[in-house]
Amino acid sequence: MAAIMDIIYSIILGGTILMIILNANDMASENHSVYNGDMLVQEMLITTAQMVEGEFRNMGFGIPQTQASIIAADSSDITFLCDLGRDGGLIDQVRYYVGPTSELNRTQNELDRYLHRTVNGGGVNEIGVVTIFKLRYLTIAGEELTTPVASDRLSEIFVVEVTMEVQNPYAILRNASEVGEGERNALFSSSLWQQTRLASQNSRR
Amino acid sequence: MTTGQTMLTLAAFVFLSTVLMNFYGTLAMTGADISSGQDGILATTITTSYLEIAQGLAFDEITDTSSIAINNPTALTASGSLGPDGADEDSLYKFNDFDDFKGFSFEKEAGGTGRRYRTTFNVYYVSTTNVETSSSARTFLKRMDLKTWRTFPPARTTDDLDTLNMSFVVGYFHFD
Repeated sequence: MAAIMDIIYSIILGGTILMIILNANDMASENHSVYNGDMLVQEMLITTAQMVEGEFRNMGFGIPQTQASIIAADSSDITFLCDLGRDGGLIDQVRYYVGPTSELNRTQNELDRYLHRTVNGGGVNEIGVVTIFKLRYLTIAGEELTTPVASDRLSEIFVVEVTMEVQNPYAILRNASEVGEGERNALFSSSLWQQTRLASQNSRR
Repeated sequence: MTTGQTMLTLAAFVFLSTVLMNFYGTLAMTGADISSGQDGILATTITTSYLEIAQGLAFDEITDTSSIAINNPTALTASGSLGPDGADEDSLYKFNDFDDFKGFSFEKEAGGTGRRYRTTFNVYYVSTTNVETSSSARTFLKRMDLKTWRTFPPARTTDDLDTLNMSFVVGYFHFD
């Protein structure tokens, strides 16, 4: 009888340990996906942000102080002037805008889209994949200008606030029972970047 | 079960519990590190945004109101008077020169994330031979030190909350 009880206890204990180990393994696997996704989007965001940050920093470079450096300003589309060649001669028109989500239909994320860059209306470069690329324009007094900014107010733009969000193109799927009304049926790691840039570096001294 | 077997079983459970505790602890730590990475990104962008605005301002109150070149630093604001030039300069977009930030503290939400960050500012003159050394005398170099940290959600008692320290030196120049 004692031997049978020992076997029963062993099965219970062994089963419990097995459940604990399986649960830990499951959790490790899930967390690995989440953390890997988080890290991936942070890296994607920083790569795109460095490009935007560097170029927006030079907005208005080589442009006379009396001339507006931004020539078109919308909520997710901006065209500004900058002497990219630093030759003091030809002034370039640089445009940043987001494309439609249909450009990235092949990814699991339905919100991601390309961030495009063109110079002087030439070939289009995809410089990153974003889910949000939002631009706000503020005057020197802090007044937010409505978009698209009227052409007679473009010269009033003092700072441009850029908000960018990147989400993982790969989804972490959820059970249907976990999805609330109006929610997406999958989770995506995301990372946000927001920075303010001067419309022109030589506006005041 | 003999007493020896019971002891061995208990020891095995203690060992397993220790391994599991370490395992879950490591998972939690990795999550905290990733979250801290996002904090770092947001704190850096907020701080550089303030720096960018500061860079767009005049070097000093006198250089904002006069276009005549300053040849002598004694014409600049005295070291003890650095800061806002009047009660009306009480917000970011009312500042007109670099040192108006001195002593200010702003809190900002990072665009829709719900996370809030506070930034404090200090501005002082620095030696023209060593920008690490503050100068009580007026010089043509001003340095701004910024500290940014997350205020919401507040850090748990077990968390380490990083404070981002950033400095920027601006020099006076004039085109004739």
